[in-house]
Amino acid sequence: MKQLLKTFKVAFQSINKNRTRSLLTALGIIIGVAAVIMTISAGEGATQAVQNQISGLGTNLLMISTKSEHRAGIEVRMGRRIDQKDFEIIQKNSVWLSKLSPLVANGVKAIGPSGNKSTTIYGVASDYFDILSREIISGSGFTNEDVKIARKVCVIGNTIKKELYDNLDPVGQQIRINKVPFTIVGLLKEEGQGTIGQDQDNMLIAPYTTIQNRLYGHRRGYNMIMASALSEDHILDAETEITTLLRESHRILEGEEDDFEVTTQIELQEITGNVTGILTLILGAIASISLLVGGIGIMNIMLVSVTERTREIGTRLAIGARETDILTQFLIEAIVLSLAGGFIGVLLGIVGNQIIYKATNFYIPTAVNSILIGFGFSVLVGVVFGYFPARKAAKLNPIDALRYE
Amino acid sequence: MPLKKVIETKNLGRVFKNGDIEVYALSEIDITIEEGEFVAIMGSSGSGKSTLLHILGCLDTPTSGQYFLDGVYVNDLNKNELADVRNQKIGFIFQSYNLLSRTTALENVELPLVYDRTGRFSNSKELAKKALEQVGLGNRIYHKTNELSGGQQQRVAIARALVNNPALILSDEATGNLDSSTSIDIADLFVHLNNEGKTILMITHEPEIAQFAKRMIYLRDGRVLTDELIKERSTKESALKELELNG
Repeated sequence: MKQLLKTFKVAFQSINKNRTRSLLTALGIIIGVAAVIMTISAGEGATQAVQNQISGLGTNLLMISTKSEHRAGIEVRMGRRIDQKDFEIIQKNSVWLSKLSPLVANGVKAIGPSGNKSTTIYGVASDYFDILSREIISGSGFTNEDVKIARKVCVIGNTIKKELYDNLDPVGQQIRINKVPFTIVGLLKEEGQGTIGQDQDNMLIAPYTTIQNRLYGHRRGYNMIMASALSEDHILDAETEITTLLRESHRILEGEEDDFEVTTQIELQEITGNVTGILTLILGAIASISLLVGGIGIMNIMLVSVTERTREIGTRLAIGARETDILTQFLIEAIVLSLAGGFIGVLLGIVGNQIIYKATNFYIPTAVNSILIGFGFSVLVGVVFGYFPARKAAKLNPIDALRYE
Repeated sequence: MPLKKVIETKNLGRVFKNGDIEVYALSEIDITIEEGEFVAIMGSSGSGKSTLLHILGCLDTPTSGQYFLDGVYVNDLNKNELADVRNQKIGFIFQSYNLLSRTTALENVELPLVYDRTGRFSNSKELAKKALEQVGLGNRIYHKTNELSGGQQQRVAIARALVNNPALILSDEATGNLDSSTSIDIADLFVHLNNEGKTILMITHEPEIAQFAKRMIYLRDGRVLTDELIKERSTKESALKELELNG
């Protein structure tokens, strides 16, 4: 123990005597650790940004629909159709929902000045645009008033604009839907292909009342009710709440199964969480390579240092240093250098994150685990890459070492 | 009362094997050196001087024969024990001083004590200072090695060899890198240390330096050619005079 303490002193003296070389040795680790911290933090920052975007797209989305089963390839409705009564009950009683809209969907034929197209018309309430974060780039959505009096207005997707209006601005124009004339009040922002390749712009959106009353003349209930939870954190609360309300309203006894389904986007979120997790991992792995390179740098310089100090090592051995004394001395030097490098690297990484934040406004939360990883790795690198040169030093034959020019 | 034997070798031999070729570096070396002796070992290059010094200095082990250092049977020791014997019983002085660069004289002299595991030295700084005073460098203890002349550096090295109070001081061409008059100073320092009771064994190829010793062993082809007492020992004055005459 006492010997170890003395060796520590020797190692520190040696580092102190070669300040420039020590700094250069540590530089690789400094940069490596800073890189690890910054990339992992950037990865986490990107994860958060992506998550935010997803929740912007509606991760707090809930869909309430009638339970259905596939039987012999045909989807069979298993319970009562979700209808206006359900909608009103949820609207009146829910605490955890911020927005709510029925949805009725029908295949229709739309006719415009330059052609006709088979498309789908979605009947919704005005909240729908917020629930699904669908932007209107020209004109506007429809209002609660439009819904209330079942006005024949609609919002169209970009495909309809292209094919039926020659790509000209259709807002204010008439469109005939199943022979009923509607006024176009808005154009949806282009969404492109959906996740399964469907054209997300081949659609019409109109007040659900209009579709039920003017297009079909009956009220047969809804395809589903769409809702937004107050926040992502309250999706499960909202789900429970809806389930309770509807079970009560549908008079489902305890022990009986629901005759409706509440679907959330939590699964989607889990998937994206995995994806961004992989992203962070890859970034971290790339940064780790720079840490590895830093470690090899330490090994390099330590090896050179062993060669350069061969005579010194020979002298130490001649005057009574044991192999373990030399081994420990060089190992301590390597570990101290990489630890110091790690420490400076952590500081540099944190400062770097702040600089990037100031410069680009891309907020990077300095991830605590990145600090631990960076620091831990630097110690590991010191031990692993310091051991080889230290062993080389310790194994020197004192006679040859003393003769070394 | 018979004097203590610091070195005793019996039929010592060292063979180097280089592939199939065997080189007999040392054969049948029987040397006994008692406490308080001052011995010079001479010989041309290739005579086995260095090999003998390495074995006597416990840096190498003989391939045959026996070696006792200050009563310790060296043949049986393992690496760590050899290191400890070097640390406790031997003070090395090298031709090129082998001091730590950018380090003070004091720290250099302390170095052997860093590796002392017996715990017999309580105040290494005091001991190092004392050793530096002994070699006449009491006023240079905080000078760094690169601020000292060659002769001063060698004095620091000698102080380092003294600090652990070894049974034997081994000098390997200590004056080899020094000019003539500084060499004489160092040889004179050896004489003084010997007068204080230190046992000194020095290897040299300079006859004028060897003349400072009490006894001279001459090696040739790995064997002891002559081993006799020096009748007319040089002193600092006589050596300087000689230097003047020849110079």
